[in-house]
Amino acid sequence: MSLDINPMRHLVIVLLAFVSSQVLAETPVINIEIRDHLFYPAEVEVPSNTKVKLLVINQDPTPEEFESYELNREKVVLGNSKTVIFIGPLSPGEYPFFGEFNMSTAQGKVIVK
Amino acid sequence: MLLDAVIIVLRETLEAGVLVSLLLVVGNRFRLELRWLWYALTCGFTGALVYATNLGSVSEWFGYVGQEVVNASMQYTIYLCLLVICWLISSPLRINPRILALFLAVTAALAFIREGTEITVFFMGFLHDEGVRVKAVTSGFIGLMIGVSVGVLCYYAITSVTPRISRLIQMVILILMAAGMVEQATQLLIQADWLPATMPLWDSNGILHEQSLSGQVAYAIFGYEATPTLVEVCFYISAIAFIPMVLLGFRYYLLPVVTEGNKL
Repeated sequence: MSLDINPMRHLVIVLLAFVSSQVLAETPVINIEIRDHLFYPAEVEVPSNTKVKLLVINQDPTPEEFESYELNREKVVLGNSKTVIFIGPLSPGEYPFFGEFNMSTAQGKVIVK
Repeated sequence: MLLDAVIIVLRETLEAGVLVSLLLVVGNRFRLELRWLWYALTCGFTGALVYATNLGSVSEWFGYVGQEVVNASMQYTIYLCLLVICWLISSPLRINPRILALFLAVTAALAFIREGTEITVFFMGFLHDEGVRVKAVTSGFIGLMIGVSVGVLCYYAITSVTPRISRLIQMVILILMAAGMVEQATQLLIQADWLPATMPLWDSNGILHEQSLSGQVAYAIFGYEATPTLVEVCFYISAIAFIPMVLLGFRYYLLPVVTEGNKL
């Protein structure tokens, strides 16, 4: 008996499996607060090779810009508001981030383990 | 002096300054009046002000990724405008200067909106703090002047060579800047989780650090990214390849058909 293996069908199955795994996989959420131009927590731990959703809540009345060259991320967070930034997947290491509008104080890092 | 204000304004002005200086070179080459730039400045500043004051609601769109989607849309539009400009300036057909002026104005206006919004939001934070406000504005002005100086330097660097080389440089930088826009927009959509995120393909920070001044200039000119992902690289290469494909396709396939049709 010969099996009829259609390469296109295989490709579709693999793609669907990939898409469904991406949809079903729960993206971890990590909260970061901005208060008095400081990040709380200043260090956040995330698992390696995993996409993570950062929920950045700015408690200050002034705007801030979450920025990281290492994470390739840049986003304005208005005063008294929140925003979402997706990061990763990342390899183990440290990835600094900072508040561009208050660089002298607003510093933090993502530690990937 | 507020160093943050100098850096923020400089970074944003640098990107828009390099692009606008290149557009000015193109405009002067076709002897366009400067009216397109004044329109672009007016629309750009008004647009930046409107966008900045509505950023709160825009940010909440699409599950708090509205900023990324709107900014990416603007950058993809700049890419399309630059593609049309490349086609207009390289076309053997006689082009209507008004159409070229229109595309130069739209490109510059979008660049001003994109970069001006961040500066506006930054300064809006100082509106109620009179002591810091004056310092911030003064520092911002210094950043603006440095950014404009780099733009002026670019303008004279491109125009100081022979016209033939200048035309070549204009085309190459237009294509690289257009691809850079696509790269930045793609990164924003990855940040918004609208495009798949993967591990970076390489890290060239050891050769040219993104945070260095030369890294920032490279970012402004061709969207330099030290740790790009596969999706970004694919979009970047496609964006570069697509422009010459369109230009050559027009010249060697469409143009003969058009001219043949006119003869009949």
